[in-house]
Amino acid sequence: MAPPEGPEELMASQSDKRPISTIVIIIAMQTEALPLVNKFQLKEDQDSVFPTGVPWVRYRGTYRDLNINIIWPGKDTALGVDSVGTVSASLVTYASIQALQPDLVINAGTAGGFKAKGAAVGDIFLASEVAFHDRRIPIPILDLYGVGLRQAFSTPDLLKRLGLKVGKLSTGDSLDMSPQDEASIIANDATIKDMEGAAVAYVADLLKVPAIFVKAITDIVDGDKPTAEEFLQNLAAVTVALDQAVTQVIDFITGKCLSDL
Amino acid sequence: MAPPEEESSGLKETMDSDPDTRPISTIVIIIAMRTEALPLVNKFQLKEDLNPVFPIGVPWVRYCGTYKDLNISIIWPGKDANLGVDSVGTISASLVTYASVLALQPDLIINAGTAGGFKVKGASIGDIFLASDVAFHDRRIPIPVFDLYGVGLREAFPTPNLLKTLNLKVGKLSTGDSLDTSTQDEASINSNDATIKDMEGAAVAYVADLLKVPAIFVKAVSDIVDGDKPTGMEFLQNLLAVTAALDQAVMEVVNFINGRCLSEL
Repeated sequence: MAPPEGPEELMASQSDKRPISTIVIIIAMQTEALPLVNKFQLKEDQDSVFPTGVPWVRYRGTYRDLNINIIWPGKDTALGVDSVGTVSASLVTYASIQALQPDLVINAGTAGGFKAKGAAVGDIFLASEVAFHDRRIPIPILDLYGVGLRQAFSTPDLLKRLGLKVGKLSTGDSLDMSPQDEASIIANDATIKDMEGAAVAYVADLLKVPAIFVKAITDIVDGDKPTAEEFLQNLAAVTVALDQAVTQVIDFITGKCLSDL
Repeated sequence: MAPPEEESSGLKETMDSDPDTRPISTIVIIIAMRTEALPLVNKFQLKEDLNPVFPIGVPWVRYCGTYKDLNISIIWPGKDANLGVDSVGTISASLVTYASVLALQPDLIINAGTAGGFKVKGASIGDIFLASDVAFHDRRIPIPVFDLYGVGLREAFPTPNLLKTLNLKVGKLSTGDSLDTSTQDEASINSNDATIKDMEGAAVAYVADLLKVPAIFVKAVSDIVDGDKPTGMEFLQNLLAVTAALDQAVMEVVNFINGRCLSEL
């Protein structure tokens, strides 16, 4: 006669009930990552868990009861700019989960916000759900696959305690926004817009690791200023706010298990 | 002083270990859709790898076997676990390319599949193209240098002899995650000077470059982008017939590769 809890169920319920131990924080830009690396006093991993030749960087350390890893996809080897966007984000998320087996993935970074949906520069959002807005495949079901809508891991207590704003996150590989992008973003009912979230969510779902998304608003998409300009102007200051928010999230997580979040 | 035979065998070993001069041994063929993949799997008599080289839970499928002197793996990203459709697009393509290169250490990657073609650049339904260059058309980042990163222009591994012998068409390939073509996409595709348009190529190229594995791109035209018919419809109508043409072309490419080293391609 089979025991009431098979080994799989036992392991799953155990992971929900034991305190979170290892987290991976995916951050696309060095400007966004380094203040957090310093705050948690993490060190660059010299014995890389990543294959030779990839520019991805792992900063690691322990902070209170947590093994913290900040993963930055690094500078593009040919061009020297941060490896932003969905392809890099999905690769580093995949490689980090395989190497580090985290209990939780946090994707943190800056984002555009829609003032029509209540976003302002400097706001910190926790995404309720994520979706793509630049993968239009007008064939039944492939269209849904393109949008790739996923729920963030549910964290009601975190939300309540930290007083973060909540909104839907829409992801695309362009910093600007075409009319088609805009239509898709509106269909996604998004408040915030980034370049990695939905890709991190895809891989986290593939490998069955819970994921949450902490985004700080650097520019107002439906405002007057051109995006690139406003983003660059606000990047440093907003990164400070992001840094602070992620620290509060980590402090909240410490000592808790997934079901406590 | 080493005896003459040992010396020459030492030299031979050095030459054979140089991937440019020893025959290609392992190839990985990345194919996004099952409809495109299965005829080739059958033609090469490959079997689904039941001892997966991929993590548990991912839908990616490896078909493998030996064909003449080659170890061939056809990698299909599988059906989306939630929605049951082929895992098309740049993210899946980059993930399976990454995982396959690490697991299988191929000498060469071939990304094969269907594509849209521009008639104004000389493409017709059923044409087989070998891409000369690949780039993205839907990653617009209007900040200096980031813009180039977004476009991600890369050259395919040069294969002049393959091209001459097989008489394939040549053109630039532009990649994006949408099946349709917005005005912005069109502008970017024109900047990319592309003849063909797909949903995976530039992502495969990115990962191949990251891991320093040569890559080539064989694309069969299933729809005319600058034609009258709506893409989705034309693509679905032609998929089976064009897949047969793709199938044949890839077979010829693999037959040409067999017994040759990278520098002979």
